[in-house]
Formats: sequence, C-alpha cells, structure tokens
Amino acid sequence: MSNRLSGPERKETILSAAQGLFASKGFHGVSVDEIARAVNVSPAILYRHFASKQTLYNAALEKFSNQRQSYVDTIVKHGTSFEDALAGMTQVYINNIAENPDILRIELHSLLEGNIATLAFFQNRWKSFTDYIEFGLNEHLPYDVPDREKTILSAGLMFQGMVREVLIQKCLQPQDRLVDLSLHELSNELVTLFLRSIGISKPQLSRKATISS
Amino acid sequence: MSDFDSELDASGLNCPLPILRAKKAISALDAGQTLKIIATDPGSVKDFEAFCKQTGNELKSSGEEDGKFVFMIQKAA
Repeated sequence: MSNRLSGPERKETILSAAQGLFASKGFHGVSVDEIARAVNVSPAILYRHFASKQTLYNAALEKFSNQRQSYVDTIVKHGTSFEDALAGMTQVYINNIAENPDILRIELHSLLEGNIATLAFFQNRWKSFTDYIEFGLNEHLPYDVPDREKTILSAGLMFQGMVREVLIQKCLQPQDRLVDLSLHELSNELVTLFLRSIGISKPQLSRKATISS
Repeated sequence: MSDFDSELDASGLNCPLPILRAKKAISALDAGQTLKIIATDPGSVKDFEAFCKQTGNELKSSGEEDGKFVFMIQKAA
C-alpha cells in the first residue's frame, strides 16, 4: 500500500519514521536499512529523498522544531517587558517539546554521541534563551552588583537547566510526586522563581503571559 | 533609499531577540519614521516578514550587505 504514496507523502513518512527511530536509539543506533524497512521501501528509494543518514537526521530535526513563527507571534502579542517575553518564549518552547517529546530524546542522545552538527542545532535553540537572559540582565542589573558578569552568565545556565529538567520530568519520565502539577504550572512556577532569584518579582506575570497557547 | 530615523544593530543575536528589540525601537518612533535593523541570524529574514505582516508596519526593504542582513521598517500610521 505504501507504493501508492506520492513523492512528498513518502518523504514525510520516511521523516516521521526516522524521527521515532533516532529518538529511541540515537543517530548511531539506527541504520538507513532499518529506517527503510520501517516504511517498507528499499534503501535506494530512501536515498532518492535523502542523500545520507546525516541529511535525513537534520531534516527530521528541522521538521519537528519549527518554533520561530511562534516566537515572533509571542513577541508581537505579549508585552515587551523582560518577564513577559521570557514567559512567552518559555511557553513556546515547552509546547514544542510537549507536542514532540522525541526532540528532547534526540537532544539527550546527541549530548552523549557528540554529533557536532546536532549539538550546534540544540545549542542554537537554547541560545535564544541564554542570549535573551544575558541581554535582559545586562539592562536590568545595577552596575555595582558584585561579580556582575558571572551572575549574568550563570543565570542563563540556571534557566536552561531548569527548563530542560522540567521537560525531562514531565515529558520523558513522569514522576508521581509531580503528578498534581501540570507542565504549564511547573514552568510558570519556575519562571517566577527564576525571576525572583534575579530580583524581578512580578507574581501576576505568568497568569497573563503563559497560560494556554 | 538609505534614509532612516533610527538604527538597531542586532548582530549576533538569536531569534526572537532581534524582533523584540525592533518592536521596542519602533514603539519609540513616530508614525512614518523608519528603523534600520542589522542582523546576522539568517532566519531573521522570515521573522521580519512575519513581524511586519502582523504589526502592519511596512518592510520597505530587506537585503544582504557584507554578510549581514539589513531591514528597513517604516512605522505604520
């Protein structure tokens, strides 16, 4: 039956299957033959759509992580205050992963595998946050704060760690003790905690900027 | 064509920072005034198209100069 698929449909099917396999086994754990078998095509047909395993891998990542448009929407709709924009961006990011937890699995695999292209891809995604936080704090923090530079760099890292961990806990290995808190509630709380830790306390921000998509 | 009233250098910044900074800069302009934006993120081309579509501000030009992306946005009336 898969023989009846059009070119674009076939390409799409291959991409989806590849994403699932890469997510469960990592880049090195999957062969082109295995992906081809999963969608009932010959490796030759697969290569007609994707020149190499790396090409297919990159395409699978790009396809499932299209969040730029949502970032632009968030910035247009929400306030431009540091906290509103951060809350809005966080919401976009966690929605993206909640819809496709495989992206997070692929990220974790890539950390272990050390695939340079992929690591750059994920670092770039986090860079949206770390850039944003570094920039915002540069404007917000008084100049006489001790170790200002270190604080700013560490804050970006703190935020990245928090968001990645909440996604792991809620999307990959649901924990009983967190069962009463939804992913959105948790991320709202964490954003608020983060803001408080850097001296910005606006408890009402999260309601407005991060509830519902 | 190089006439502009304000300039924003967003080089080295990742999405959505250039958009956010542009939004702030535009809010400080009067209607009809133009903001020049310089960015290095290739994705910013699409981002600014979407941004202008949604905000009603006019993307007067979008091009590449010395490996950087340059946008001229005129604030809507």
